[in-house]
Amino acid sequence: MCLVRRQLDTRFERLDPDDEPDRDDRLIRELYEEFGGPLLRQVRQTTGNDLQWAEDVVQETLLRAWRNAPKLTWERGLLWAWLLTVSRRIVIDGRRRRGVRPREVEPPEADSIAVPDTADRTLASIVVAEALRGLSPDHREVIEQTYLRDRTVNEAAEILGIPPGTVKSRLYYALRALRAVLKERGVAN
Amino acid sequence: MSVFGESAHHDVAAYALGVLDLEDVQGFELHLAACAQCRVELEELRELPGLLDEVKSESHRTRQ
Ligand SMILES: [Zn+2]
Repeated sequence: MCLVRRQLDTRFERLDPDDEPDRDDRLIRELYEEFGGPLLRQVRQTTGNDLQWAEDVVQETLLRAWRNAPKLTWERGLLWAWLLTVSRRIVIDGRRRRGVRPREVEPPEADSIAVPDTADRTLASIVVAEALRGLSPDHREVIEQTYLRDRTVNEAAEILGIPPGTVKSRLYYALRALRAVLKERGVAN
Repeated sequence: MSVFGESAHHDVAAYALGVLDLEDVQGFELHLAACAQCRVELEELRELPGLLDEVKSESHRTRQ
């Protein structure tokens, strides 16, 4: 078993960075080897074609994982989810710092679900778009106003004029409903 | 946010999509460390960001 996982599984064992510098080097190298490539592919989707930015985001994410290593006691799949979440946060925060505002001028009813050109359409994109349209309007709306428009819960709550707690609950039931449909159609596990 | 209220479980969806506000992230991670149900759900929701990216319009994806 690799060092990363072993360490992440060792709940109460604390690392003293001064104690074993070699082990730290190895840990961060293993994080890169195991997650660097897949994470970069994911992050590039959110930074567009900005490879330099994507590489910076991956580096920052893995660094945070390394700093949090004693706390991250979850299994591999959860670590991957953690890395995805943290990298998305870093991209969103980076956009803010670059002065890119979320698009607030767009009318809420504008359709943010892309209809790709025929040539670009993948089976998954067709099925996902269809599944989204099959959700209740409330459910579809919270997914559109958060993830699909790169907004946080609080930003979406303000735009929709509902409490953040309501956005989070709706998002929860919306994702569960969406996943159930996608599972039924064979595009989610 | 209460650590064990029903609403705390609901944060898992926003967390999975990476849209939970920063001030709520740490609280949810504490919850996650203590809540097996949310760890299972986070695993289950793990594919959704990638699938939703399929329909995310180019303008949203690449705007700088
Ligand atoms: Zn929970």
